[in-house]
Amino acid sequence: MTKTLLQVARGLALVALLGASTSSLLETASPRGIDFILQNSPTPQKYLIETMPGGVALLDYNNDGLLDIFFVNGGRISHPMTTPENFDRHNPKYWNRLYRQNRDGSFTDVTEQAGLANAGDGNYGMGVAVGDYDNDGFPDLYVTSYGKNVLYHNNGNGTFTDVTAKAGVAAGGWSVSAGFFDYDNDGKLDLFVTRYMEWDTQHSKDCGGNFHTYCPPGEFPRTTNILYHNRGDGTFEDVSETSGIAAKKGHGLGVAFADYDGDGLTDIYVANDGMQQYLLHNNGNGTFKEVGLEAGAALNSDGGPLSGMGVVFQDYDNDGRPDIIVTTLPRQTYGVFHNDGHGAFSDRGLQTGISMLSGVTAGWGVGLEDFDNDGQKDLFVAQGHVLDNVEKIDPSLHYLEPSLLALNHDGRFESVDPGTRAMVAARGTAFGDLNNDGWIDAVTTVLGSHPQVFMNRGGGAHWLTIALRGTRSNRDGLGARVQVNGQTRFATTAGSYESANDKRLHFGLGTTKTARVEVTWPSGSHQVLNDVPADQFLEVREPEHP
Amino acid sequence: MNQETIFGTRASCLWAISRVRIRRMRVGAKGFCFVFIIWIAMQSFAIQSAVAQTISPEATQHWNAARAAETQKDFKTAVSEYSKVTELEPNSAAGFVSLGQSCMEAHDFAAALSPLKRALQLDSTLLAAHQLLGYALLAQGYAAESIPHLARVHEEGALGIAQLETGQFADAIKNLQAALQKRPNDPDLLYYLGRAAGLLSKQSVDTLLAAYPKSSRADQAMAENYFVLRQMDEAQKQYELALQARPDTPNLHLELGQVFAMTSRWPQAEEQFRAEYKLQPGNAEAAYRLGDALLHEGKTHEARVALERSNELQPQMPETLYSLGKAASLEGDAAVAEKSWLALLSSEKESELAAQTHFALAALYRKQGNTAQADKEMQEFQKLKGSTQP
Repeated sequence: MTKTLLQVARGLALVALLGASTSSLLETASPRGIDFILQNSPTPQKYLIETMPGGVALLDYNNDGLLDIFFVNGGRISHPMTTPENFDRHNPKYWNRLYRQNRDGSFTDVTEQAGLANAGDGNYGMGVAVGDYDNDGFPDLYVTSYGKNVLYHNNGNGTFTDVTAKAGVAAGGWSVSAGFFDYDNDGKLDLFVTRYMEWDTQHSKDCGGNFHTYCPPGEFPRTTNILYHNRGDGTFEDVSETSGIAAKKGHGLGVAFADYDGDGLTDIYVANDGMQQYLLHNNGNGTFKEVGLEAGAALNSDGGPLSGMGVVFQDYDNDGRPDIIVTTLPRQTYGVFHNDGHGAFSDRGLQTGISMLSGVTAGWGVGLEDFDNDGQKDLFVAQGHVLDNVEKIDPSLHYLEPSLLALNHDGRFESVDPGTRAMVAARGTAFGDLNNDGWIDAVTTVLGSHPQVFMNRGGGAHWLTIALRGTRSNRDGLGARVQVNGQTRFATTAGSYESANDKRLHFGLGTTKTARVEVTWPSGSHQVLNDVPADQFLEVREPEHP
Repeated sequence: MNQETIFGTRASCLWAISRVRIRRMRVGAKGFCFVFIIWIAMQSFAIQSAVAQTISPEATQHWNAARAAETQKDFKTAVSEYSKVTELEPNSAAGFVSLGQSCMEAHDFAAALSPLKRALQLDSTLLAAHQLLGYALLAQGYAAESIPHLARVHEEGALGIAQLETGQFADAIKNLQAALQKRPNDPDLLYYLGRAAGLLSKQSVDTLLAAYPKSSRADQAMAENYFVLRQMDEAQKQYELALQARPDTPNLHLELGQVFAMTSRWPQAEEQFRAEYKLQPGNAEAAYRLGDALLHEGKTHEARVALERSNELQPQMPETLYSLGKAASLEGDAAVAEKSWLALLSSEKESELAAQTHFALAALYRKQGNTAQADKEMQEFQKLKGSTQP
């Protein structure tokens, strides 16, 4: 790639601005008050659920301007499991946890007072989605499980109410990731849930012969994902069949949303484990068509399937079109599907350098975020193998791995120090600006351990963070296309793995002190703001009239 | 892990495998015996007819009863009747051969040994007795004892198996190859030949390690073992030791490069493949590996140059053609990409690589807007994936 003189000059200026420091962009922190441990309860039976949790969400549940953290817990697994399955979720050790952020950067566990303590004894926790499904201005929580999923309505007074039964979104089976989005642009957030397989503890298997390992997904039948349509009265309708979603069975794990073909409708990408990935094109009439193979976003460039786990659907090369990155197992490389326009994608693993960074690692939570505020989205991946004894089978692979932070240099990603040498079995990851300093932070969950909180050290580059306030569109503007100085982000809290990100849209501006902001709302209205000063949190309110 | 430990562990594993295989081999040897018995029954018909004419009427009566029982596959009765023949005619070698054969037909290999040995005492030129005894001994695990009998009748397949079991790997390979020429693609023979070749290889390496434990070749052999066991850190160390001692040894850089490639350390892999290519500029594999590493690094133009060189050195290698097409495609040279992939498909029709190539061509044609051709290639891809996936 030939750089123009202008690009080189811009780069040099940025280096000067940031300083020549070689220290890591990120550092791990142990914020006071966060004592969560992800209890996955590994057993000799190698129940597959043990290696799959858990999600994390960054949300401002009490609208005090500070991001709070919600963790999904697994549960207790007895060996062997008996029926009825009981994961001891009433025991505080196995509760999901909500930590409210205080003004001093510490956190307070408010799980019990918020009404989130017991997720149901029969539910082994997996992931979380965040969205304001009733447009009341307070983010609601949807927690997925092996068992029943739970929708918690945010009452706006620091408490939540389990409204699952009324809403009709319990699902069942083995749900993994979920996300709120508005597929019919009616201003009400709908809900998509991935499900992994037909499996239960009484029909589990142990693979690997004498090594006793978790089985690959192909050992179990595929299952359907679920799409719930928001009726707007606090209830949802399962439209999986009528929308065509249920027509495609798979081994769904991650899910992300974006409008990849610019038709104004939000499409869905599902990361499937050990098979082709699904790109579900929104037909605009309430139905979806799976087009992954013909669009070039289903298999790698050799026609090989991916063990898709996490997924991010954002524009990494600032061409205005959302690209897809799928995290996978080792001996594959993370899938990088570049959006070439006209509904076509091409595998860019080699050109981006991401293949080279991911040949022997297993990736889960993933994000494309501009960690160094240079105007290009960088890649963060939470890593750690599925098999807790993988070294016995292949000594060149490792169960515990460090996270990957790779900086984006004009579309080429280069690995840098992620801020810790800790080797962990990381899973879910959520991204957001925890301390409101204009620099993106990340939180990952770790099996059997405390989460990792990656705080951004910051620097001199400029930034702009945008909060959308929908009026005709859904209240948080999920699904909006936001462009700032040539960068594009698609408003979503979904993506990554089992997790939910800060709903605010963050843009690094490099040396630029002002921004031109364009918002294309799900309602179709288009809004332009010129000369917006950098280094601020900006709320953009959707015009109430077209 | 020291040298003794790794090879001790490996040897134990091989031993365990060997025990399993020997059990299988015995079953296989019985299988050989069964086929052989049908053959020998036909071959010995003339002897049997002649014998029946030279023995007493009473013995003939039992002889005929035995024959009738054999026809009915009532081998228990046949054994009983042939036993009476040998009691009445204790100097009839043919009688003992038939008794031994009948025991083997009844799958009682242990009982066959004694009459067959007696037959050979009476007439050591009886080829049928040698053959039957060779099989019976082999089936009973007496491989060493079976060898002279099998060698006498040039029964190369069974002889090769017996030699394999007694550690005579080179002779086993020779005989099994000869047997395979007569019965090409026989799965049992192919299996034993593979096993013999593997054990001969291990024997050679063990000799090398025992005789020259500090040599560069010993380090290389150790490294290769670590590589097979996927102990990449240890493999790297051993290759580096070998390279320190003899930096110009062919293939060392190539193999060390593969350690780096296996662990996704492509810049280091490139460095090693480049060193090998410098040492052996006429080595097509070195050029291919270099091109492949460069491709993984996203250095498409350099990769293409190396892959084109590999293709010149050894034209039409499918792997080279595939990667060359990929490099050309990434460079935007659709014509060369298509040419390389079509050349690959002219020789490779149904493999995994052929499937990958159809997929790559589908993407290429789709990018060119040639939807019909893209769909056709995608159909070929799906057809092959359907047939190559378990």
